Amino acid sequence: MSGVIDVVEVGECYVAKSANREWVEKSRHGAVITSLLRYALDSKTVDVALVVEAREGYRFDSVLSIVKESSEIKEPIGAFHCATPNIAKFIKNYLDGARDLKVAVVVKPCDARAIIELAKRNQINLENVLMIGVNCTGTFSPTAFEKILREEFGVDPSSVVYEDIEGDSLIIELENGEQRELNLRELEERGLGRRENCRRCDVKIPRMADLAVGKWGVENDKASLIEVCTSKGAKLLEEAVRANAIVIEKPSEEALRIRDEKVEEAVASARYWQEKALSELSRLSPKERLAHWFRYLDKCVKCFGCRDACPICYCVECYLEPTRGLVPPGEIPPSKLFPLVRLAHVADSCVNCGQCEDVCMADIPLSKLTFILNKQLQEVFHYVPGVSVEEMPPLTVVTDEELLVDLTTALFEKR
Amino acid sequence: MSSEQDFKPLVVAFCCNWCSYAGADLAGTSRIQYPPNVRIIRVMCSGRVDPQFILRAFEKGADGVLVAGCHPGDCHYLKGNLYARRRVILLKRLLETIGIEPERLRLEWISASEGGKLAEVIHSFVKELEKLGPNPLKEVVK
Repeated sequence: MSGVIDVVEVGECYVAKSANREWVEKSRHGAVITSLLRYALDSKTVDVALVVEAREGYRFDSVLSIVKESSEIKEPIGAFHCATPNIAKFIKNYLDGARDLKVAVVVKPCDARAIIELAKRNQINLENVLMIGVNCTGTFSPTAFEKILREEFGVDPSSVVYEDIEGDSLIIELENGEQRELNLRELEERGLGRRENCRRCDVKIPRMADLAVGKWGVENDKASLIEVCTSKGAKLLEEAVRANAIVIEKPSEEALRIRDEKVEEAVASARYWQEKALSELSRLSPKERLAHWFRYLDKCVKCFGCRDACPICYCVECYLEPTRGLVPPGEIPPSKLFPLVRLAHVADSCVNCGQCEDVCMADIPLSKLTFILNKQLQEVFHYVPGVSVEEMPPLTVVTDEELLVDLTTALFEKR
Repeated sequence: MSSEQDFKPLVVAFCCNWCSYAGADLAGTSRIQYPPNVRIIRVMCSGRVDPQFILRAFEKGADGVLVAGCHPGDCHYLKGNLYARRRVILLKRLLETIGIEPERLRLEWISASEGGKLAEVIHSFVKELEKLGPNPLKEVVK
């Protein structure tokens, strides 16, 4: 590489490759994350790394695993588009919110946002979490993806070694090196394709993480483009470069331009799906709307799956438990308060991770409902969930200026 | 079911102890008439009104919910009413999203000296609810 540098600044982008030639050859995008994780463990920057692994080598069934030694991270595994582990909740529940343990974790934008939302609520110690973010244009539910492979591509899922989203195309690569391609938009219009929350997601680059790693701009160079988002990220990358684990150089103008274009394209697609969800509902009268939602909500069997999966739900004693007297036990479908109270509690902070919908056995479009409400609340409170740790959820803060305004509910509209 | 004409909306009003409840008291001692459709629940502060109180009122068949508190700056607990305001703003959007008219939820500032205002608010609220008809959630809940 020419123009190799070893000073890293926050806010800058760098083209990066692993210093391990063998890995770079094996990898698609420079094995940067593999090397960063290994360096973080070797240098004792972190105590453990949290990585996504294919369960028994099958890439459509992935699990989170805790890695203590860098030697356990053997080689670059590439991106998993069918892995949607609940990383924020995992750190909170199983790593004690990273209270006394330094954790490096590879996150999608929604994971990073969920971690930040939990940090605001003192459930995760953000100082101990090193977030290596990956750019994301969406994920698939594993079963839905297997269905696409079998029925649309006509291949056996176990013969697929790689999948990728490139603009509007869904690309797969088979064991024999053959590549196949389908139009993703067309699949999605037929109800297949990415998880619904991912289609609507407009956060493509996880700038709230410490580093944001992605292929855009350098797709064909066996390298990744890293945006340094925090001083913690800058420190890790700089040390990794100085320790000769990673090689970086300045990106070309062209690469940055391509990256911006790709983001724009992906965001435009997200806007399309957002608009679709919003307009579908605005066409209905209040009565029809109520009937629409309760047709779904009446299927609820109160399994508490959504509550348990939701990264924002952290109350030790949940109001929805039968012992609290609000939602009586043993009623199916449960009291209407069950979905409504949950909605009122999480809607302002929803990070659109889609975990609630993933776990729902009744296939209730929960993420769509929360998205529609959250979108309206963002317009009122100008609060974007999971971006900055300092900014508290809108229902937990009031400002001194509000003391001087006598308006009732028109408060924020008048501004 | 009763016909449109004799539909009598049921209003649940959460009144804060320091201002609005005293305002309701004043309305009473001043012999100011207001519709008997309202059930007043005294809370220590409008900030005590949790979203689920309001949702529960709707679920149990209230046609409208009124949250009444001190004017901003007058709150006995300094800012409780400001929290209530943000909450009501959220809930109005929530109700609208799922298909309950947001007008069924009202937030009003009523001080201890505004017995007349309390009566006025209840008058106009009941009138509005008569136009809106019964709470649609009742049919869904059954």
